[in-house]
Amino acid sequence: MGDAAMSLVLAADYQVPDFDHWWAGLTRDVRRLPGLGAHHIVVYRSIEDASRVFVTIGFRDRRPVDALLRSPVMFSWFDSAGVEEFPPMFVGEVVEKLDLGSPDGSAGPAASASTVMVAAIAPVGQLEEMRDRVHAAADRIAASGVRRFWIYRAVDDQAEVMILLQIATEKQAEEWIRHPDAAAAFMSQAREGAYPPLFVGHLVQAIEVPQD
Amino acid sequence: MYVCLCLGVTTHTVQQSIDAGARTTKKVAEACGAGSVCGRCAHTIRTMIEASASDPPGRRPDRLRRRWGRPPPDRQ
Repeated sequence: MGDAAMSLVLAADYQVPDFDHWWAGLTRDVRRLPGLGAHHIVVYRSIEDASRVFVTIGFRDRRPVDALLRSPVMFSWFDSAGVEEFPPMFVGEVVEKLDLGSPDGSAGPAASASTVMVAAIAPVGQLEEMRDRVHAAADRIAASGVRRFWIYRAVDDQAEVMILLQIATEKQAEEWIRHPDAAAAFMSQAREGAYPPLFVGHLVQAIEVPQD
Repeated sequence: MYVCLCLGVTTHTVQQSIDAGARTTKKVAEACGAGSVCGRCAHTIRTMIEASASDPPGRRPDRLRRRWGRPPPDRQ
């Protein structure tokens, strides 16, 4: 595993009262992030609810999570978005980046306007067992339209994962959600308790955080 | 997942407090600290309390066992 695989990723699913206002001010917020060690931000916007966003922030290395979360920068991140109630935050590291390509053997498409991202955060029990299932079903999963299958393990709970799926079309994403592959049982585990419901959206932008 | 940013309290810890009898945000704060500083995680804590009330520990086999679910018959 390279450095990127060992770095920390923070993710949250929340609603911004005024997306356009938030987006316009995001550049100002991004300037505050290098001090925390962040190197990129990826923003997705929900298909069904235009005020709902899924944001991942990548950090250069493992940081003390407590210090990261209670940083004034993190609070101001939500303040500037007009978010009063903090969403639960996933903090983890990537353990699997499976790029599946197309069933015909061609390379998977780069994320485009039509590409759909499905995010699920859920408990999965034995992570290695899940990875084995996913690997064994890779051809079948690719045939369903899934182009990327990325798995992140939570730092606070070894049995909790965040799955980011890149799916070729909205129709295939809908089909996947209705009838997920057997290797994707986590789809039914999301939305319990504090876990957010499945997020289905489009990539807005991946932003490189300018370093000091 | 982390619920309380101020104190770094996780869903696991909050759930333990709820399962031990904390049924209000105040009781959860007393039990584990979550929500006791800025209080902006209260909504998440309330959601967890409500979810537990409708799905108490004894009726949460999947979540408690944390097992990778069985595939539907048509996908095996």
